[in-house]
Amino acid sequence: MSIAPTELAESQTRTDRPWITLVWNDPINLMSYVTYVFQEYFGFDKNKAELLMLDVHEKGRAVVSSGSREEMERDVQAMHGYGLWATLQKDDQ
Amino acid sequence: MFKRQRGIVVLKLETFEVEVLDQLFDQMIALVEVEPMPVEDPLERLVGLNGPSIKPSDPALARLFPDAYHDDHEAAADFRRYTEHEMRNTKAMKARISQSQLHEWPGKRELTHDQAMAWLLSLNDMRLALGTRLDITDDREDRDEENAPGYEMYDWLTYLQGTLVDSLTKN
Repeated sequence: MSIAPTELAESQTRTDRPWITLVWNDPINLMSYVTYVFQEYFGFDKNKAELLMLDVHEKGRAVVSSGSREEMERDVQAMHGYGLWATLQKDDQ
Repeated sequence: MFKRQRGIVVLKLETFEVEVLDQLFDQMIALVEVEPMPVEDPLERLVGLNGPSIKPSDPALARLFPDAYHDDHEAAADFRRYTEHEMRNTKAMKARISQSQLHEWPGKRELTHDQAMAWLLSLNDMRLALGTRLDITDDREDRDEENAPGYEMYDWLTYLQGTLVDSLTKN
């Protein structure tokens, strides 16, 4: 009996913990295309989309969205649909 | 090439370009189209549960359908089972739509926004598949002379896609 609340709390923490979508750098996708995809799909303004694209290009990857696991799976699938290399994971920070 | 004229995206293609694109569409469709799967459990099939769970061994397909999880193989396999089948069909369908309109060229035609988007994704898929086959890197010095015709086609697709992105984003 006493275990139940602990388990509940643990699973709640797990669900509440944000997930993130990462886009990884690749040598094929055009910088202008990646910027356009960020604007189209996430609705970012051009400035933000360009900064994110440069982050991907220069640092090798960038976090483009965060939320529930289901939401991030949707975003990753959409990115793959556009041909961007994306993965999701739990936010480490 | 693509251009923006009076706010509308226009595609201008020569005869030889139409022919090359037609062949590239054929190859893309053959590459991504799903082989009919043996019917196991009809219910599983209905809910799309019986897709593949392993990353394709062909590097071009692995690039088009990458793992969704970096270091969680089980989650990546589950994601693939739910999505890859549908993703392959979607890519093949989009390529078919663009290909079926090719007969309207050579010449210069206006595109609707949806048509322009279908072209954008198809051209990107072609570049991903061809670029992976050619082992494209950021450095042009890495290019192997033997593959010159392949690089020429890749560069042409890059140019074409670049003019389309410009046409879509120019004010």
